[in-house]
Amino acid sequence: MSDLISGAALRRLVDEWIGQGKRVAGPVLVKPDLPSYVYLAGGDRFLLDGFVRPVNSIKEFVFPRHEPICAYRFEGKQVRIADADAQIGDQIVIAARPCDAAALPILDHVFNWDCADEFYNRRRRATTVVTLACSTHDEACFCTSVGLGPAATRGSDAMLLDLGGGEYEVRVLTEKGRDAFAGKTITSDRIASEAPGPGKRFEAARVRRYVGEHFDGPIWARTTLACLGCGACAYSCPTCHCFDIVDEGNLNGGARVKNWDSCQFVTFTLHASGHNPRSAQPQRQRQRIFHKFRVYPDKFGDLLCTGCGSCGRNCAAGLGVLNVLEAIERDDGEHLQA
Amino acid sequence: MENIYRPDLIEVVGIRQETPDVKSVRARFVEAASAARFSFQVGQFGIFSAFGQGESTFNICSSSNWKDRIEFCFRRVGKVTEALWQIDEGDVIGFRGPYGNSYPMKAWEGRNLIFLGGGIAMPPIRCAIWYALENRERYGDITIVYGARTVADLVFVDELDQWATYDRVRVIRCVDPGGETPDWKGEIGFVPTVFDRANVPAENAVALVIGPPVMIKFTLPILDRMGLAPGDVYTSLENRMKCGLGKCGRCNAGPVYVCKEGPVFTLEQLKALPLDY
Repeated sequence: MSDLISGAALRRLVDEWIGQGKRVAGPVLVKPDLPSYVYLAGGDRFLLDGFVRPVNSIKEFVFPRHEPICAYRFEGKQVRIADADAQIGDQIVIAARPCDAAALPILDHVFNWDCADEFYNRRRRATTVVTLACSTHDEACFCTSVGLGPAATRGSDAMLLDLGGGEYEVRVLTEKGRDAFAGKTITSDRIASEAPGPGKRFEAARVRRYVGEHFDGPIWARTTLACLGCGACAYSCPTCHCFDIVDEGNLNGGARVKNWDSCQFVTFTLHASGHNPRSAQPQRQRQRIFHKFRVYPDKFGDLLCTGCGSCGRNCAAGLGVLNVLEAIERDDGEHLQA
Repeated sequence: MENIYRPDLIEVVGIRQETPDVKSVRARFVEAASAARFSFQVGQFGIFSAFGQGESTFNICSSSNWKDRIEFCFRRVGKVTEALWQIDEGDVIGFRGPYGNSYPMKAWEGRNLIFLGGGIAMPPIRCAIWYALENRERYGDITIVYGARTVADLVFVDELDQWATYDRVRVIRCVDPGGETPDWKGEIGFVPTVFDRANVPAENAVALVIGPPVMIKFTLPILDRMGLAPGDVYTSLENRMKCGLGKCGRCNAGPVYVCKEGPVFTLEQLKALPLDY
């Protein structure tokens, strides 16, 4: 047996959530051929098919690209500081891709090991993620190479699977998911089939070993010299979480804010002395792969990658982690059959 | 909500211009509760802020025995340090910390200590020197070799004289060739060369070496030749940081987060790391 909801009922449900004061985000065509996760004004426009993956990721709903961490005000020689305590209301992300949802438990580690970043946690707690299982994939997708797949449930509170005919199976996975769909589904005997994922492109364990052994190897320049250092890979990545802390204000005061940052920028590691441990772009690309497939796994036993392919799809130079990882496969051993 | 990024306010109570572009600052917590909560160990660092300009990372260069103050030292080189350069006594700045690991002062007890510093690297050594001198009976002979490009670039010069008055403490000052003044009484030469000439006994010694990469590069082979084990040679890495809390993703040297697992490393540990610092 399964739970079923029609597309029309789902859109009405989104309207209902918005009516309850919740913020709801979902994929929308913001331009022709440009799906993007945005906050929705209603349930009518979000995409339930016809897209592989939005250009951005859902991380921005739990880890905004710009977030005040405290306010400061000058009073003569004194400074007054106050916590930036904006109210965080409940929010739901609808029709998120599984590779986006899977990023949230990965981000949980980094924002909570040793000490807790409550800016992240309070948004995370207030967020319900309803995924839409993938029915298609493109050349950039590689979720199956990192242990996920078109209907992987990691990080999802509920998952929608297309049954055809404008109907969706609802798989409730957590309490939050149950609350979101309580009383909104009908019981059915139809079970959705899960689409085949992309073929496996590399072996993550091999990458982990290889990058440790080839830190100074020629592969980095060979595969990433074309990188423009724009940071689009990091900004569109669901798991990249590096940030900067800067003051933004005027002579009266302002706010200290966390802003997204990227290891691809030359200033990211530039020392005050002028020394830069990663002064060349391939070193910065190496850092990105090294962090995702070696540093993070060593620390948390998990990959810092969900195989979404955004870095490849959004790269103006035609790069992305996949081209490096496939080069490692070719370099290191037998090439896996797709 | 607990806010791990919120700084404490500290009031500047003393400023000393050390060189044409280096100042050291003494500050006290504005809130009594923050002062009561605060303690640190020498070698740890803080993140200091000039509100409106942002945050910068500096070693806490006071001794951890000095309970009522925090001291730090900086070179005027960027946006935040330019703002800090302009502060006066009575001004309020921000502080987060202490962060990172520390010098193993307990493990160093009973050992002879060799401190080797270059230029602006004296502050992160100074805290350990004062700590050792304040617990003088716990440590053996102390050798301090400190050099800078010119006489005008030496920091904490009056303290060098104070340190030299302690029992079994040898202080060797040096400036790069051409950096001396007519009345300069110290050595002329680079820190590694001067240290090599000084014939410091290596027996039962640990060394703390902090300075520009070129100084470290030429000093390490000398320590090796003297017979110091890589596990007895320490340094403090200074990768760029933002959060200090292992989250912002910037300071790693290979697999190691300098803000959490460092900044203090032995040469033995550094040899296992890729050159990413």
